[in-house]
Amino acid sequence: MSIKLTTQAYCKMLLHAAKYPHCAVNGLLVAEKQKEKKKDSHSTPILCVDCIPLFHGTLALAPMLEVALTLIDTWCKENKYVIAGYYQANERTKDFRPNQFAEKVGARIAENFSEAAMIMVDSTRFTMGCYEPILTIYDHHENKWKCRDCNADCFEDWCEAQKITSALLEGRSYESLIDFDNHLDDLRNDWTNPEINKSVLHLC
Amino acid sequence: MASVSEMYDVTWEEMRDKLRKWREDNHRNSEQIVDVGEELINEHASKLGDDIWIIYEQVMIAALDCSRDDLAWTCLQELKRQFPGSQRVKRLAGMRLEALEKYEDANKQYDSILQDDPTNTAARKRKISILKAQGKSAEAIRELNEYLEQFVGDQEAWHELSELYINEHDYGKAAFCLEELMMTNPHNHLYCEQYAEVKYTQGGLENLELSRKYFAQALKLNNRNMRALFGLYMSASHIAASPKVNATVKKANVKYATWATNQINRAYQLAGRGTKENKCSVKAVEEMLESITMS
Repeated sequence: MSIKLTTQAYCKMLLHAAKYPHCAVNGLLVAEKQKEKKKDSHSTPILCVDCIPLFHGTLALAPMLEVALTLIDTWCKENKYVIAGYYQANERTKDFRPNQFAEKVGARIAENFSEAAMIMVDSTRFTMGCYEPILTIYDHHENKWKCRDCNADCFEDWCEAQKITSALLEGRSYESLIDFDNHLDDLRNDWTNPEINKSVLHLC
Repeated sequence: MASVSEMYDVTWEEMRDKLRKWREDNHRNSEQIVDVGEELINEHASKLGDDIWIIYEQVMIAALDCSRDDLAWTCLQELKRQFPGSQRVKRLAGMRLEALEKYEDANKQYDSILQDDPTNTAARKRKISILKAQGKSAEAIRELNEYLEQFVGDQEAWHELSELYINEHDYGKAAFCLEELMMTNPHNHLYCEQYAEVKYTQGGLENLELSRKYFAQALKLNNRNMRALFGLYMSASHIAASPKVNATVKKANVKYATWATNQINRAYQLAGRGTKENKCSVKAVEEMLESITMS
């Protein structure tokens, strides 16, 4: 029932928040599509392998979000992924609780993927060193979002995630991160961020 | 660490001009401004002439964004020395207090400016920003409304108010703010497009039709606005799919949506030379086209 994050997913989430420290940011998390539902599949954690940064600034408008979900859905199908989660970092540092909008989007994702998670980024603990995970993970239970503590267990490899995220932050890789907003400004901007993916792989 | 001029092979004049461009475009790329500005101030201050004062101001604000209180303090001292008793510098001192989260002291600073000059818009807007920073959205909205009753032409304020309303999901009032902006800036495609987005989010057939019209208007003003193009597609196809519309309206909207899809397709072809991600986007767009023609 629980989700886990790969280094690449965690990295890009934090880079997105770092690129726009004065804005709210949000995005999606994708996981590999499971072949078939095993009997006790709730014991296998879902691994979120990648993150697609969506918007920065004013988040609560519908049309571009719908466009993004449609395009990303197609991309997921091509790559045998499924949209498994939603993350958001609020504009105000001290504000790390999910708002109505986050819950709405989370619920929409949960319609297509029952184990969907909603992740809020806690900017008050955001440091260059990344010494602790700064996420709060919410699982969808009976139409309510239940908070779960995020520790090293929520990562495929926390040590690696910590090291690489910190390195990329120091190197200001966030300057070249592309979110969906950047893509809409110029279609040549690639929201899959192949260059950053390469950097992550390179450092592994 | 290499200097900016070494890394990018630029002259101090180019750095100064870049800072001016960022100032004019109101870019919030604070890290870059600090990098370029700090070097300019430290190495080339004597060559900058009177430009240096506005650069001090620009760099100070950027430094606050980057938690560089040392740099902000230096800039502030230079400005205080050159312009003693200036309201503009007082406001900068207030911003520094805000950055340090000393909101009470910042408010005192702004109140003292307003005592001397009750029409000082900058100080009033900073006070509203403090409310926003403290999460007091309702109060910020109230104060901003009061401010706009007096300063009805302040576009930045109208835009800020529309954003505050959007964050509170009060789309009707957000639309009103954007209507004010469209009235005074009829050629601004961004306001048209944002208005259309708000109307779309409000929902309902009437709002969808309005949103489609304003997406179309935004496109007329700037045919490369991708958000407007996508918005036109989304609103037209939703209208066409609605059970409440008659056959004529449905047919017309299918036509608009189809046109939009073809334009989107063309835009993607122009942009990507068959990169993997673009192929997916093109495919998604083709699926969109199929879905409307089928309904």
